Amino acid sequence: MIKIKWFRGQWLHITFAKIALYAVMLCLVAFTALPLIYLVSTAFKPMDELFVYPPAFFVKHPTTVNFSDLVVSLGSSTVPFLRYAFNSVVVTLTIVFLTVVVSALGAYSLVKFKPPGGNFLFNLILMALMFSPHVTRIPSYLVVNSLGLINTYGALILPNIAVAYNIFLMKQFIEQYPDELLEAARIDGAGEFRIFIQMVMPALKPAWATLVVMSFVSNWNDYFSPLIYVTSQAMKTLPLALQTISGGAAAVSVGRAGATAAATFCMTVPTVIIFTAMQGQVMETMVYSGIKE
Amino acid sequence: MAKKVETPKPAKPSKPAKEKKFKLDLHTKDQLKGLVFVSPFIIGVLMFFIYPITLSLRLSLGEISSIVGMKVKITGFDNYIRAFLVDVNFVPTFLEMIRQTLVKYPLTIVLSLIIAMLINRDIACRGLFRVIFFIPFLLGVGEVMQQLLNQGVDKAVLNVTDGTLIPYNVISYFGTTIMDAVQTILGILVTVLWGSGVQILLFLSGLQSISPALYEAARIDGATEWEIFWKVTVPMISPMLLLNLIYTLVDSFTNITNPMLEYIQSNGFQNGEFEFGAAMGWIYFAFVGLVVAIVFGVMKNYMHTNEVEEVKKHGEHKHRILTIEKKPKRTFD
Repeated sequence: MIKIKWFRGQWLHITFAKIALYAVMLCLVAFTALPLIYLVSTAFKPMDELFVYPPAFFVKHPTTVNFSDLVVSLGSSTVPFLRYAFNSVVVTLTIVFLTVVVSALGAYSLVKFKPPGGNFLFNLILMALMFSPHVTRIPSYLVVNSLGLINTYGALILPNIAVAYNIFLMKQFIEQYPDELLEAARIDGAGEFRIFIQMVMPALKPAWATLVVMSFVSNWNDYFSPLIYVTSQAMKTLPLALQTISGGAAAVSVGRAGATAAATFCMTVPTVIIFTAMQGQVMETMVYSGIKE
Repeated sequence: MAKKVETPKPAKPSKPAKEKKFKLDLHTKDQLKGLVFVSPFIIGVLMFFIYPITLSLRLSLGEISSIVGMKVKITGFDNYIRAFLVDVNFVPTFLEMIRQTLVKYPLTIVLSLIIAMLINRDIACRGLFRVIFFIPFLLGVGEVMQQLLNQGVDKAVLNVTDGTLIPYNVISYFGTTIMDAVQTILGILVTVLWGSGVQILLFLSGLQSISPALYEAARIDGATEWEIFWKVTVPMISPMLLLNLIYTLVDSFTNITNPMLEYIQSNGFQNGEFEFGAAMGWIYFAFVGLVVAIVFGVMKNYMHTNEVEEVKKHGEHKHRILTIEKKPKRTFD
């Protein structure tokens, strides 16, 4: 163990266990951060560095030419880039809000009220978890079509709200919420909805913060719903626009590689911002106080 | 003296029957409230899960007779038989998928639990570490990551065979077989690490919800770190563990990069054979369901929900979690 004099007369204790811990952490971080580094540096790579094989992780001569390429290539299309961004923002935010409300309410009542058929519904949720969405893609299209929602925001939003995984996640958290608190609130005369809004939701902040992050990311990156339910250019969202820029799923067109890298970079920024903003909440300790044995 | 037997007071006159008809007992009332709360979810599930799933089941059992109204003529198990007996690629793709999962599944769970516990410790820059471990998930479940993998990033991360990391002499000493194996293992490790952002996050929130009092009590009782891990940490995060086990399983089975799904996708949808695609989807679903059911069945016995349930399940003295003895009521004298 080494002791180093720290500022303000404090001692900094360095043990070998600590050094080993940080070494392991740094190795893991180096591994995991690589895709991000690659993504950022690719966005700033000039043409000749983009096609080096094997791909280099660090850019040697950074330029912003990819971003101006992106603007130029999008300027020629009929729909401005901002329209895609706007669609993405509207759709994603609505889904996130609704899915948090619906799953939290549903999970809360499944756990605490035990409505008739609740067990069946829970088994159904488990089943839905395992079912690959790819198999039901065409039937889902038929449903959306018969509702007359094709080419509307509704088609992008509605099918993604009642997601089995979200309610499952909320349920796992709510199971740990003590019944005594609910009883106390009922005795004090609080209505059910008020209990939910003022007691359960604040206590479950880590749960729904997790849900917000996960559902934001997966819906922001959702490529399939706009692909299936939307045909008009004006309703498309960013992931689909990214495909259009890079020149289709099959062939990555050489000329657009730089613009694609820049667009990919732009697309990732909001998710990183959301997560950084929410991560303090996600990690917050659940509030169990209020019960004394 | 004879005790005066108090005659019970006559019961209050019952309310008129008309009023009583609408009076539900507390239990039913609670259940109704529950139903109201859960109804938006039920509607969503009915519309976008139950109906499509039944249609897909009918598709798999028959053939489309008219594409306009999606009219299906039921013909029996032809499509299923075709998948197993006629189709050349179905069974090998299936086995390949199982092999991949067997390698990656335990690795993901163990690695993410270890990382979550490392980040949960009292270390500098915790927030930064959390963000970094979660970033691969943020980069996109599908599109962005797919592009990176297409460019061969996972192989370029740790290229042991090109002589930059390890000198050529060492490589030639070990021979190509061993070096290839090492390369493969490193490649798997990298992809596993990139795919475990959610798992780490879930484990972390589970770890955070454990009351420090439990650890304190265990330490005072003289438990070692190893015992604390198995007797406090693991039971307390068991709901999150189950969630993680299922999430990882389902995620690896329903990921777009899964070879089985790629096969169903290309065969069923791009070739326009919806019935065959649906049948393969159902076989696949049955398999995934079986695996998840096994995981669920095994884990159910080891789940710790809360104190009350635990006592109900195991009896007053048998439940595994450490309990803090109730203090005798303090008297103020």
